[in-house]
Amino acid sequence: MQRSAFQIFFQTGAWTVIAFLVLPLLVVLPISFTDTSYIGLPKEGLSLQHYVNYFTDPKWLGATWTSVWIGVVVATCATVLGTAFAIGCWFLSDRASSIARWVLITPILVPPVVQSLGFYRFWVVLGLIDTHVGVILAHTLLALPYVSISVFAALTNLDRNIPRAARSLGASVMQTVWAVVVPAAKPGIATGFIFAFIVSFDEIVGVLFITVRRVSTLPKMIWEGIQDNIDPTIAAVATVLVVITLVATAIGVMRKK
Amino acid sequence: MASPILSISDAVKTYGDTHALNQVNLDVAEGEFLTLLGPSGSGKTTLLSAIAGFIKMDSGKLTLRAEDITNRPPEHRDFGMVFQGYALFPTMTVRENVAFPLKVRKKPSSEITKRVNEALEMVQMGAFADRMPSQLSGGQQQRIALARAMSFSPQVLLLDEPLSALDKKLRADLQWELKALHNQLGVTFIYVTHDQDEALSMSDRIIILKDGGIQQQGDPNTLYNRPRNKFVADFLGKSNFIDVTVKGQTNSTLHCTAQDVAFDVETDTTNTTGDTVKLALRPERLKLGAPNEEFLPAVVKQVSYLGERCQVIVTHKTLGEMLVSCPTWKTDITPVAGLTVSIGWEPDAPVVLADN
Repeated sequence: MQRSAFQIFFQTGAWTVIAFLVLPLLVVLPISFTDTSYIGLPKEGLSLQHYVNYFTDPKWLGATWTSVWIGVVVATCATVLGTAFAIGCWFLSDRASSIARWVLITPILVPPVVQSLGFYRFWVVLGLIDTHVGVILAHTLLALPYVSISVFAALTNLDRNIPRAARSLGASVMQTVWAVVVPAAKPGIATGFIFAFIVSFDEIVGVLFITVRRVSTLPKMIWEGIQDNIDPTIAAVATVLVVITLVATAIGVMRKK
Repeated sequence: MASPILSISDAVKTYGDTHALNQVNLDVAEGEFLTLLGPSGSGKTTLLSAIAGFIKMDSGKLTLRAEDITNRPPEHRDFGMVFQGYALFPTMTVRENVAFPLKVRKKPSSEITKRVNEALEMVQMGAFADRMPSQLSGGQQQRIALARAMSFSPQVLLLDEPLSALDKKLRADLQWELKALHNQLGVTFIYVTHDQDEALSMSDRIIILKDGGIQQQGDPNTLYNRPRNKFVADFLGKSNFIDVTVKGQTNSTLHCTAQDVAFDVETDTTNTTGDTVKLALRPERLKLGAPNEEFLPAVVKQVSYLGERCQVIVTHKTLGEMLVSCPTWKTDITPVAGLTVSIGWEPDAPVVLADN
């Protein structure tokens, strides 16, 4: 097939962008197998010592566990609240509800530093600094818009007569929501849950502002690892996370097919 | 009317400045096929929604078998409802959809199975019980919606333009089926439509609505042949309108003129000499013939051939343009544009419109 200059230009451009996005990610792979005790490429040979370190050091494992359980709690809270909010707004569909939807997505619009400063000032007053509850609250707030947006997207195509049909057939408002609206919103709820987990698992700025010693999440450990001791364990952790993400995505794609 | 199953009195609903319902009074007889007919914005859907309980009337009263249900929530009214967009639950199978009203009523599972099967057989959809709604055609989905709305033996079945999303041929088939189903079950149907053919072909009684008020009600034959006003005569079928001056009345025969054309019209109304009244003349009641002394001379302006019938626009020098509809299989003449013809009618063909 004859290719036009136009096509070549855009194809080259597309591959350049992909390389730009993926290459920095791939750099961590050789670093994680380095035999040196500082961040750098392998010198004499490959070594698994940093993986061993990650999987045996209680500090790294503890931080990972903290991030996971906080992520699950945040995802659960944000999914329940965000779904309830989106379904409520969908039922109302008036001016007030569309204003409320805009207000709820402000955490996405406000710069994270500003948001975190707000959390800090407010959490000091509430006595939530350096507590797990404080982190969960902050992350739930940050994750809420992602849940409500994805649930709302799932509901936009739902016929508004469907809840009416359920009511006329004898279902109360609550029965209608449970039997008809929630099942229709399920794909959006699942997406929202995953997003909420990722938002929490990945969050660093807020955690740096509102925690000191007692609470340590994985992103915070990585951050501190780079700050104090240029420990290649970070690269091992990063590689593990990338592999988990790739496997999860692959499973997701396979299941869709 | 024997004591009505459903009764609406002084129903009022306003949206801003517009009256969606303007003092509507309506009694629905047990077992009746009642149609609410009107153009969009006439208030027919608002009236049905008020009956179903989805909107709250500003004022007015709704009674079911003499019991006040004005403030009863929709789920306790026990009315089945069928919607234009089918409104089947997309995450449930056909069987689960039809079983839904029985499940929320906590019926025993043996009874649910039995009644779901009966309802599906009723609409000839028994073979589709385990499909998902998305796997069915529009007509099949509407049959399922009907089975679902009937499976719990509702007091009244409300139908909100159930056929308007379907194509013309299927619509005609389902009209027969709906009518047969109504005769077979004896349930009260309240049917909303903007389609006059649907209304005429199925209803026991038609309510014609405009701007939130009832214009006229009656059985299809009365409404079609004795429209009370111009809106009804124009909305239900087509009409030619002629303004005439009353010259006198002997018993039921009204003598009137439109300039040089004299009419003798059979009417049950009483009119004062000198008044101007409007006559409505159905196109199919006009007869087209070769020019002769007895009838009015006219010139054919345009012809539209429709197969079984043929629509002809003719021009008369004082009456102006008139629409004539004649059967194509039985004509004295073949109308073509420019041909001079005559138009005539039986004395009972023109209808005196009581008001405008």
